[in-house]
Amino acid sequence: MRCLGVDVKPSEAVASAVAQMPGALCVSSLGTATSALRLASDDGPHLYLGGAMGCGLAVALGVADARPDRAVMAVVGDGDLLMGAGSLWSLSGLRPPNLVVLVLDDGRYSITGGQDVMAPAALAAVAGALPGVASAQANSPDEVAVAVRSISRPGIVLARIDESPWPGPSPFVDPPLVRRRFADYAARTEAIS
Amino acid sequence: MTVLEWQIEIAQAIEQAGVDAVVYVPDARLRGIVEALSDAGPRLRTLTREEECIAFACGLLAAGARPVVLMQCSGLGNALNAVGSLCLPYGLGLPMVLSMRGTLGEGNPAQVPMGRATPALLAAVAIQSFTLVDPGLAGQTMAGAIELAFRTGTSAAVVLDALLGGGREAI
Repeated sequence: MRCLGVDVKPSEAVASAVAQMPGALCVSSLGTATSALRLASDDGPHLYLGGAMGCGLAVALGVADARPDRAVMAVVGDGDLLMGAGSLWSLSGLRPPNLVVLVLDDGRYSITGGQDVMAPAALAAVAGALPGVASAQANSPDEVAVAVRSISRPGIVLARIDESPWPGPSPFVDPPLVRRRFADYAARTEAIS
Repeated sequence: MTVLEWQIEIAQAIEQAGVDAVVYVPDARLRGIVEALSDAGPRLRTLTREEECIAFACGLLAAGARPVVLMQCSGLGNALNAVGSLCLPYGLGLPMVLSMRGTLGEGNPAQVPMGRATPALLAAVAIQSFTLVDPGLAGQTMAGAIELAFRTGTSAAVVLDALLGGGREAI
């Protein structure tokens, strides 16, 4: 199923979200999410995953658990979320009060050539059914900004995107460099919204 | 339930090392370790799948916390994607404890192939493993694996042999 009638680049959706949570510790799943976060944050000191498909939300849950004093944002593709869908139950069970999950929802496995994701339309219903987790849908960068700013935490924002004309920067990151920069950034003690 | 002395020693080693979180999928032999942790000890995080435990623990490590992952060896297959494409390339030194199934005294045929493969799987991804058979060495072994992982950034596994008892085989 293709997302028709939506013309939002991933980097636009992520840039809108990042702007609402300055200073947040961000985790991105492999592929489009990592490319989009790199572009939107000017390659900021975030935890970009170059592999481990299906693990984006779980890693973000760990970061949120380690640093309850810091806001945390997970940027994950819909295919990544489906591969690790059990983490939605963990999100509901742990209910970290500092985590916002931005799902880049285009109904496709973009990095492998745009193959369809099975039943993408169920994401909103599933997110809405999780006890203790808020959810919202956004169809434009402005709607992403409003949703990220206003959603209670933990919350899931489903951002509909269409990335067909959008190449983005490489998702093939240097893992040790990413880890060191993120560790330095996370070690800051100031509480940031 | 009866908590065995070696389970208490492992729990004490975890607490004395200042571990922040014990992340696990339940298992009979691991249960005594978790039971022996004090209320003031690490927080407990029971997740849905072993791969998720590795990923969650990698998030903790990346953000400066000190986790230990506990799993049954049958879950190592589930966990390899996160081990191989997150934990290892990012240089996140994760101490883990694997409870053996499929070996001495096993009664479930479905447990045997992955149990037999466990040492080879750990070796294939270059995770040092330390098999614990002598209950008198439990505390030292756990403490050493934690120190190795946190101080050198090298993941390490303590493998709980079936001869230690306290596992599903005995139920």
